[in-house]
Amino acid sequence: MAAFLVSLPVLAGLGYSLVASLGLAGPGAAGFQTARVVRVLGERAIWAGLAWSLWVAGAATLLATIGAVVVAVRFRSRNRGDRIARLLAIIPLPIPHLVAAVVGLQLLGQSGFLSRLGAAVGLFHGPPEMPALVYDPGGVGLILTLAWKEFPFLALVAFSVLATRGEALEEVARSLGASPRAVLQRVTWPLLWRGLLPSVVAVFVFVAGTYEATAVLAPSNPLALPLLTLERYTDAALARRGDAFVLVLVGMTVSLLAVMAHEWTRSRWERLQT
Amino acid sequence: MGTASDMRGNRRFRPVLLVGLGCSATAPLAILLLGSLGRDWFYPALWPPAFTFNSWLGLWQGGGRMASAFGTSLGLAVATGMLGAALGWPIGRLLAGLEGWLRHLGAGAAFLPVAVPPIALATGLHLSMLSLGLAGTAFGVLLSHLVPAIGYTALYFFGVFTGFDRGIEDEARTLGAAPWQVLWRVTIPMMRRPLAEAFLLGFLVSWAQVALTLIVGGGRVRTLPLEVFALLQAGQDRFASTGALLLVIPPLLVLGAIHLAVARAEAVPL
Repeated sequence: MAAFLVSLPVLAGLGYSLVASLGLAGPGAAGFQTARVVRVLGERAIWAGLAWSLWVAGAATLLATIGAVVVAVRFRSRNRGDRIARLLAIIPLPIPHLVAAVVGLQLLGQSGFLSRLGAAVGLFHGPPEMPALVYDPGGVGLILTLAWKEFPFLALVAFSVLATRGEALEEVARSLGASPRAVLQRVTWPLLWRGLLPSVVAVFVFVAGTYEATAVLAPSNPLALPLLTLERYTDAALARRGDAFVLVLVGMTVSLLAVMAHEWTRSRWERLQT
Repeated sequence: MGTASDMRGNRRFRPVLLVGLGCSATAPLAILLLGSLGRDWFYPALWPPAFTFNSWLGLWQGGGRMASAFGTSLGLAVATGMLGAALGWPIGRLLAGLEGWLRHLGAGAAFLPVAVPPIALATGLHLSMLSLGLAGTAFGVLLSHLVPAIGYTALYFFGVFTGFDRGIEDEARTLGAAPWQVLWRVTIPMMRRPLAEAFLLGFLVSWAQVALTLIVGGGRVRTLPLEVFALLQAGQDRFASTGALLLVIPPLLVLGAIHLAVARAEAVPL
């Protein structure tokens, strides 16, 4: 049972947020009432923030996954070139998200490196002509930055899936007369997909909740869910601080769904391995 | 026919991919380095007209604010890495021994602190730390970093111990080894690589942490990411680049050291 202590702080926070949302504890507590929950959940900004965070997480995760799969399949042999490619792919792995955001800002900003490069080849005639990639409503700069940041992790998982499980199964398929294309479609791809899926879920939920990169690169309208939560938690009006607990509940609901998805995909992969 | 054209496409595609990977690994560092050393680097110049070391010299100025933040971050990250690895180990091992629905529940419980948005986690922890009198202290911040860190390390050891052959420990015990001897002479030597990697996981979770430090530390515990974050929001790009480089170097060194140590101990195709 000691194993469940890991999630105790989270569950305590969840319980407290629930109690605080219902007006039984915390700032602005005034007895049991559902008015706060109803009011906050009725705000358009909340749902816009949630939808925006999920869009960024979905797009960034998709790009990072495609990159990881392509690199893992193309550079999988033991020769020197492939090993160097795999090393290059995972080098950005330990770079903090905040640093990724600093790089994203300097590369993709209105007067950033890309904009200067565009000016040098005569594409733009000044910073305003550069398409907005930072603080833009679509979150393109944030998506590209996070996709780059999450790619090494997914690539590392993909390499290990192919190295530990791929070769033997592919060899069997080949010896049974499967063409290279059939091996890719029937063995390599399904294996990679199942092995990667738990990590893809983890990356998605991590990106959806990430704070610092979002704070640096995201627009103020719509305000992403993590930023909105902090804004309410530190609101000058004490009564509004309680709103943050409702937002925490929204965030935790997404996390709990992700936990279930992760566990389902993980146990499917575990069964495949034994 | 299709295969032949695939091969040609492959041959052309590979160098493009390799260049892309090279850029992904090196260009960000180059941009940070230029941003950190370039002076009067205004639009549309592609290269800084002059260089200056003042953002690096500034690390020790102003009461050594950045240098002391670096020290605080390093201390927190090393402590989180060590405690995270030490506590994630028994939890992961317990989880790996579970069967059926308990296994699902246990793995889900370990994933929860990883999946929860740091801001959501921080608001809950902040109130607990306030009531314990630990909010705004380095120890409180360390405890808060340990929550996601142990989630990561427990999940990691869960995977490691799921494939672990307990028969080797049984053999040592049959040969008369005491429990501590089994742990010290058999299990730990076999787990050197997972332990090093779990340390790295915990180290990175703490080293890169912004949200938990910001809220639980209440502005009194100044770590390097918080300083960089503040510089960025103040528009001090050169100083922010220098701080960002400082944030990149230790994790790359730790990763490199672990990679080298592992490569020496066993031949791992990477």
